[in-house]
Amino acid sequence: MNISKHHPLHTRTIKIFRYDPCVNGEGHFDRFETEIADETKTTILDVLIRIQKEQDPSLSFRYACRVNMCGSCGMVINGREGLACKTNVADLPKDKEITLRPLNHFPVVKDLVVDMDPFFKKYEASMPYFDPTEDLTEPAIIRPDSKERRIIGLATECIQCGCCVSSCTMVNYHDSYAGPAALNRAFTLLADSRDGLYDLRMNQVLQSCYHCRTEFNCTEVCPKEISPTRAIKHIQRLALKKYARGKRQGPLERTEGAIQAIQTDLPCGRSGASEFPESPERRRFLKQATFGIGAVSTLALGAVLGTAAIGPSIKKTPKRWIHLKSMEALAVGKVSTVVMTYDVQNGFHKSRVSKPVMIVRQLDINNIVVFNTTCTHLGCTVHWDENKKLYVCACHGGMFDQEGNVSAGPPPRPLDRYAFKVEDGHLFVEVV
Amino acid sequence: MEPNAKIQIRKPLTWGEFDPHRRQNAHVGMWAWIWQRISAIAIIFLLGLHIALTYKPVIQFLLLMTVIFHAALGIRVILLDFNLVNVKYRNLLIAGLLGLGLFVFILIWTSIYS
Repeated sequence: MNISKHHPLHTRTIKIFRYDPCVNGEGHFDRFETEIADETKTTILDVLIRIQKEQDPSLSFRYACRVNMCGSCGMVINGREGLACKTNVADLPKDKEITLRPLNHFPVVKDLVVDMDPFFKKYEASMPYFDPTEDLTEPAIIRPDSKERRIIGLATECIQCGCCVSSCTMVNYHDSYAGPAALNRAFTLLADSRDGLYDLRMNQVLQSCYHCRTEFNCTEVCPKEISPTRAIKHIQRLALKKYARGKRQGPLERTEGAIQAIQTDLPCGRSGASEFPESPERRRFLKQATFGIGAVSTLALGAVLGTAAIGPSIKKTPKRWIHLKSMEALAVGKVSTVVMTYDVQNGFHKSRVSKPVMIVRQLDINNIVVFNTTCTHLGCTVHWDENKKLYVCACHGGMFDQEGNVSAGPPPRPLDRYAFKVEDGHLFVEVV
Repeated sequence: MEPNAKIQIRKPLTWGEFDPHRRQNAHVGMWAWIWQRISAIAIIFLLGLHIALTYKPVIQFLLLMTVIFHAALGIRVILLDFNLVNVKYRNLLIAGLLGLGLFVFILIWTSIYS
């Protein structure tokens, strides 16, 4: 053919997942080599059809429209979900192997064919049909630029290919999760003000919405460029609005009669209960566990932070012995004034205190008195007056006798005394 | 036609199973989610260390870095949750907010140590 002149034939290796339902087992990859004339004009589906025709007629895959409309040929191409008919060979890394594999989270029937039954069960459970509040005989007129239409946007274009469900990591972990496609469909109807099943539908899908972790995997792979994540977020916001409205106006009116009327109207004898049941025990347990763990960690963190923050302020400073002077330096029968210096830790603040103390020494070691120089009246410093034989406060004329008792002036009580001890001929006093 | 009793359907493939290209083709949004969770755990440890060994520049650096990283990704999710930013900017937001975070980090760090 002439094509090969312009486009030299290119051999590509295609690795395809094979599973034979008669043999069973885990499945394996088969390698096929095929020559592709023009990669920009060859889709993965073309390649598959060619391999099936030319190399292995037992290769199974599903397709119908071939033009990106039916959603039958969804599969994992090089680690990303996509439609085989929409993906060109040229879209994939050049000269590298192409890996084809069935969708995740669906039972594999054969090779690339998966059982879509779980998908459609969940899809159906999201009540994907429109049930109007009022029966109109005339077609409704919806302006394309109306706010509601713009919000719903392309979300109605879903072709149920299952790519989003396959890409979603959360589907793996939550069996009750409806999945992006079903939630997207529910969104298109919930956002429609003509929808008569709002409450029931919300009840069906809201629990599922909280399984979304905002990873946008579904949005990235959707062949129709819909964002199911956006749809899920919208449902969450709707629920929030409904909750806020309920807080303002009281709970929504839902009489038994109205529920009956809706239920008799539903196809397949559906009940109002959620189709994605989460057992009440599980929910209660999760609630309690969340609160429990929350409370414990708050307490633990609070305790640590609290202790760190206010601990030093309320901590009692231990009493310490401060060295004053050697006994020999103190004259017997006299009053000596000595300045003692020590550090005080006050909360986070450390300061150095210098304070004079007065020592009265007699010959007998037990007959020593160490006076605090702070006047008991208003805290001025008291000094020894050798002539008057009195301790005198200069501020308000307070006077104390040799024993420290008040002899004149306003002081309310005698001078304070320090506890002291004598060790190896040195005098120590106790300070706080 | 009678269904073939011998036919057995394979259990669903899980994410990444038989999928050699999955990891390098995983989407950035998923990594953003995973790393936000990892950073959350890291913050708990670093906060403990920060309290135990106060004013150690290495721990301060790591803690501030992790907190800003975690916050940037968290703000992204909040913005998208409440539709304050169109979802089409979801990936741009990661780069933008992390860039902003780096700027804030440099600002704080230089104001402490310079």
